[in-house]
Amino acid sequence: MRKVAVVGAGHTKFGKRNAGWRDLVQEAGKLAFESVDNLEPKDIESFFIGAAQPERFAFLTHVAPLAAEMLGIAPRKIIARTELACASGQAAIRYAFASIAAGLTDIAMVVGVEKMFMPNMLEAQSNMTCVLDREWDGVNGLSAPPFFAMCAQRHMIEYGTTREQMALVRVKNQKFASKNPLAQFSGKEFKVEDVISSKPVSPPLCLLDCSGITDGAAAMILVEASLAKKFTDTPMYIIGSGQASIGNLINGLPGLANWDACAIAAKEAYKMAGITADDVDIAEVHDCFTISEIIEYEELGFCRKGEGGRFIEEGQSDIGGKVAVNTRGGLLGMGHPLGATALSQAIELFWQFRGEVPDYRYVDGAEIGLTHNLSGSASVHSIMIYRRG
Amino acid sequence: MEYRTVKLPEKIDLPTMLDFYPLQTEEWTRVSKFFENLKEGKLTTTKCRDCNAVHWHPRIVCPKCMSDDLEWIELPKEGKLHAFVESIVIPLGMEQESPLLVGVVEVGGLKISTKIDDAKLEDLEVGMDMELKVVKVEDGKQERYWYRFRPKK
Repeated sequence: MRKVAVVGAGHTKFGKRNAGWRDLVQEAGKLAFESVDNLEPKDIESFFIGAAQPERFAFLTHVAPLAAEMLGIAPRKIIARTELACASGQAAIRYAFASIAAGLTDIAMVVGVEKMFMPNMLEAQSNMTCVLDREWDGVNGLSAPPFFAMCAQRHMIEYGTTREQMALVRVKNQKFASKNPLAQFSGKEFKVEDVISSKPVSPPLCLLDCSGITDGAAAMILVEASLAKKFTDTPMYIIGSGQASIGNLINGLPGLANWDACAIAAKEAYKMAGITADDVDIAEVHDCFTISEIIEYEELGFCRKGEGGRFIEEGQSDIGGKVAVNTRGGLLGMGHPLGATALSQAIELFWQFRGEVPDYRYVDGAEIGLTHNLSGSASVHSIMIYRRG
Repeated sequence: MEYRTVKLPEKIDLPTMLDFYPLQTEEWTRVSKFFENLKEGKLTTTKCRDCNAVHWHPRIVCPKCMSDDLEWIELPKEGKLHAFVESIVIPLGMEQESPLLVGVVEVGGLKISTKIDDAKLEDLEVGMDMELKVVKVEDGKQERYWYRFRPKK
């Protein structure tokens, strides 16, 4: 297997953007090209774009060639759009990684994008109800907020996790997002009371326990590792990847409070990277809801099962703790443009390793980084491990 | 400037699929028996005659052993509430469902999601007994049936 490097990255402002789907693609793509030396659109052999629901949010399909044309790219090896709901972007990164590692292509661009604001926001909410099996779960009113609220309810019952511990996840991630100009919710910090007293969405989850509806895009350039130095002095290497999927419908899940597929994917990724959970210095995990981050600490092996609430309470997931988690602001603070999220997470590690983030969130000496996305009914977990170049 | 005005329809019907309910007749699905049984007040599913696996939802192929020799079995009319929530955000086409109470009920060894009827949030607790309730879904074009649960009386 060949080694793969990330050599360039571009990231749009996340939020409610006065921009269309294809505008966002162009913004991110331009920034990615500007971040590298000696690379033009004509050099891109393969193009992967992660987009969860362009059919519903923008009424566009067959979007990979549309986006490639926007960026002046004419791929001659591989072109594809990936869809894996909230992990669509990581699927795109993974396929680019796999294709380069396998020797099918040398230079690829990966874009992640979602345009989620619509003139009728109820339509946007309804789109999300298709993610859980629309005919057998969605039909019962299950979309992400009620599903994850039930995960929270079961985690509180089975492991004693508290409302305050969940709120602390938002407080931590918002602290980072507040100073991040790219974040949807920049410019403000929250206290535990703010989270708990925000508008109920699906109790126990309140508005500030939930990631936002967000427009945004991000792009990266991946190359076969021996070519990396042609494009940058400070590449980031992909050293591990793991993915697992168990069930989809509620009845097929191992449980609401235990996400076994996450532990399986983590084990696989750590094995490929030749590391253990203890070696991870910085992690970007999928905090679509506050409870998610708590369960992920456990399943990723950062703490023991059931102790995720205590882990955040003790500051173990903050800078200076056991592992710095979600220093860009998480999905909670950055917003969650579905297809773009995994790219945004990977780019945070890229910038961290290159020392290109401001001091307030710089994780000094970080060598190993992990990104994690869940998708659907937390049935699928996708993990990538990156190393400083 | 003078323009020719192109008139778009002011109102477009809710697309068929956006009402969330599955298409139920023989023309559209090979598990139409589930909906016929539901109309008779029975919650049923498929069981594999080869490996005895009980499925949810009903299938035409057993995911455990790939057999297509399946039989219909009736599930109990009662179950226990495993988890529940009130969803304040109500999807398009479910506006009439307020409050929207959603839960997972353990019934016949399965965990199935359901809307919860005839209850307020404060009436509910994990572990309580629930009973089946069949609803008729009307949209002026077709008659469909769906299951719900409510606290056992």
